[in-house]
Amino acid sequence: MKIKNTILFSLIATFFLIFLVSIWKILATLQGLTIKTFNIEIIFIIGFLISLFHLIFNDKIKPIYKSIIFSSLFVIFDGYLIQKLPLWYNVGTFLIIYFFVSKINKYNFTNLKEEHSTQVILFDFLTLFGILFFSFVILFPFYMMLVTSFKTQIALLVNPLDFSINFGQGLKDLFNSYFVIFKSYNFGKYIITSTIVSVGTVIITLLFAIPAAYAVARLNFFGKTFLSTSILIIYMFPAIVLVIPLYTIFSQLGLRNSIEGLLIVYTATTLPVAIYMLQGYFKSIPKELEEAAILDRLSWFGIITKIIIPLSIPAISSVALYVFMIAWNEFLFSLMFLDNPNSFTLSRAIQYLSGDAETPRQYLMAGSVIVTLPVLFIFVYFEKYLVSGLTAGSVKG
Amino acid sequence: MANIKFTGVHKSFGSNKIITDFNLLGKEDEFLVLVGPSGCGKSTLLRMIAGLEKIDEGEIFINDQKINELHPSKRQTAMVFQSYALYPHMNVYENMSFGLKIEKRPKEEINTKVMQAAKILKIEELLERKPKQLSGGQRQRVAIGRAITRNPKIFLFDEPLSNLDAALRAEMRVEISKLHNQIKTNMIYVTHDQVEAMTLADRIVILNQGNIEQVGTPEEIYNDPANIFVAQFIGTPKMNILEVKEENVVSGNTIKLLGNDIQFNDLKIKKSKHFVGIRPEHLKANQNTKFTFNPEIELIENLGNEKIVYIKKDEYQLSAKIPSNVEIGSSIGFDLDDIFIFDADGKRVKQ
Repeated sequence: MKIKNTILFSLIATFFLIFLVSIWKILATLQGLTIKTFNIEIIFIIGFLISLFHLIFNDKIKPIYKSIIFSSLFVIFDGYLIQKLPLWYNVGTFLIIYFFVSKINKYNFTNLKEEHSTQVILFDFLTLFGILFFSFVILFPFYMMLVTSFKTQIALLVNPLDFSINFGQGLKDLFNSYFVIFKSYNFGKYIITSTIVSVGTVIITLLFAIPAAYAVARLNFFGKTFLSTSILIIYMFPAIVLVIPLYTIFSQLGLRNSIEGLLIVYTATTLPVAIYMLQGYFKSIPKELEEAAILDRLSWFGIITKIIIPLSIPAISSVALYVFMIAWNEFLFSLMFLDNPNSFTLSRAIQYLSGDAETPRQYLMAGSVIVTLPVLFIFVYFEKYLVSGLTAGSVKG
Repeated sequence: MANIKFTGVHKSFGSNKIITDFNLLGKEDEFLVLVGPSGCGKSTLLRMIAGLEKIDEGEIFINDQKINELHPSKRQTAMVFQSYALYPHMNVYENMSFGLKIEKRPKEEINTKVMQAAKILKIEELLERKPKQLSGGQRQRVAIGRAITRNPKIFLFDEPLSNLDAALRAEMRVEISKLHNQIKTNMIYVTHDQVEAMTLADRIVILNQGNIEQVGTPEEIYNDPANIFVAQFIGTPKMNILEVKEENVVSGNTIKLLGNDIQFNDLKIKKSKHFVGIRPEHLKANQNTKFTFNPEIELIENLGNEKIVYIKKDEYQLSAKIPSNVEIGSSIGFDLDDIFIFDADGKRVKQ
């Protein structure tokens, strides 16, 4: 059992190492480095040996020395003996191996003796693999966007696949694209329009969704079950089906090219999910609290504002976040309804820019960064409100 | 100072009849305990007084004012919930003052009332805390305090102690009893726990399936139960009920039971099936009793100060509660006064 587990552990660890090093090599290639061969076999052998020696030397050397020794050995083999590679590449490799060795540090012969230890190891590495892989998939395009936005037109034309940021050009040149899109492309106005539309959608949606969700969760009225089950039916219609009839209606009503029109459509599309999310949370609030409030002479309105809303802050903020993101990123309706640049939202503006062949790519990317950043910041800020357990202590649970 | 009156109150949920024809006249400043097995409608009754359930039929009066259509907040009642139902986002002070704040009372008045209530319940040092920072007993005190600040004519308690552990429950029971002595107000208390009922009540209302089985002081209920249900509901272990077959009814006042001929002085017993009840604590070992029998001992549970003896005689299974220092000999006895006799329907047979 011990031998089998040792071999399995070493194999899994080695594959993980190969994955890490390969990502690094791909990134280095994109950075302009010419790597003749990936040397998978050699990395495999070295990785296997590292895992094995790690187990053998387990307690005899301090973990930090062990990590440094293994990393240095790997770098000497891979970066200098097999092929001569620049220093920055080898520093990166060193850090990756260092990370790898400290990750496998918690495994030793004692816990490899246990029968289920291979499963534990497999899941540990699968988790790590998943985190790294998906963050690479998500973060890399964002990184590309950021890098491109920092480039000059010439640099972009010379080597479009150069993924480095040239910090040598000075701050003013670095952020040149951002200045340009605000100055010549009116992005300030688009940001204001997008903000008004998104915040407005959030406010209107919450204004309707909170009483509606409360009614569905608590009150008995005619057609309640039908209403609560049919709330999500609107999602069975693809937006593209609704867009054309809405276009005709809005044209006749004069709602095209107007913020009001967008607010109506966005509220209508986000309301069902908002009600659905909120009513589930409202149902989880103990009924006795409301009964106590009734005895304290609170009206329905008072119960909603003084009891339900304060207790539902986590649910309400996640709904607000969801609605904001939908409204901020929405593209189809704004594409159809807005054709006057004066009433463009950000996403529509970027589409407008990209449709124009003359618009330099770095400006487009700068615009995309500007679209993305607010959502990112808002998410980080709102995250603390998304904690649960606000009703703790109210009733015996 | 209030009295409550129920006349012909009915309540049903769908086709499920919870309370049928409930009539009761409360007394002033009385501690009334509604007790019964779960599902007997006692909580529903309380919620109807508070106004949280509609009254289907009949009337409830508080001080001769019909409250059927009155808004819950205008009934001058205050309710303490089983689950405390404290507002989790407010601290203790805010919880207790919330109702007064809604009424827009002056700040000084709110403050004095909250402080008074806090003093009575000894929770003055907890006023700044949030409910989640309190223990179960403290939460229940705050819930009671919230009721006190509302200065109600009638306090309604809905199984307030059932979420507490045994030791705390006993402590809070005493506190509530003291509270009633301190603020002389009507209290209606719902519980399924007979010990709470016996210790707290001025009068007990025993409910079963929406009907009143008996109303009376704890002594009356214990010494003079109206039927088998009441007799078995009050007292632990519950009363031994022995079936007396028709052929064992010897004459109009004599029955054969456990090998004895028991002759009643002033009872007329019909020639039909009857039930005889003897409380476990009235079965005695090694004492001079009028009647004795020699049972088989099946099991002894020692509780320290007393022991519960499970015995068998003929086709009867009985339990007896005797002091633990008493040796159980071969015979167990009982006296004539300790016998309750019930007819075939479970109704008590009296002279």
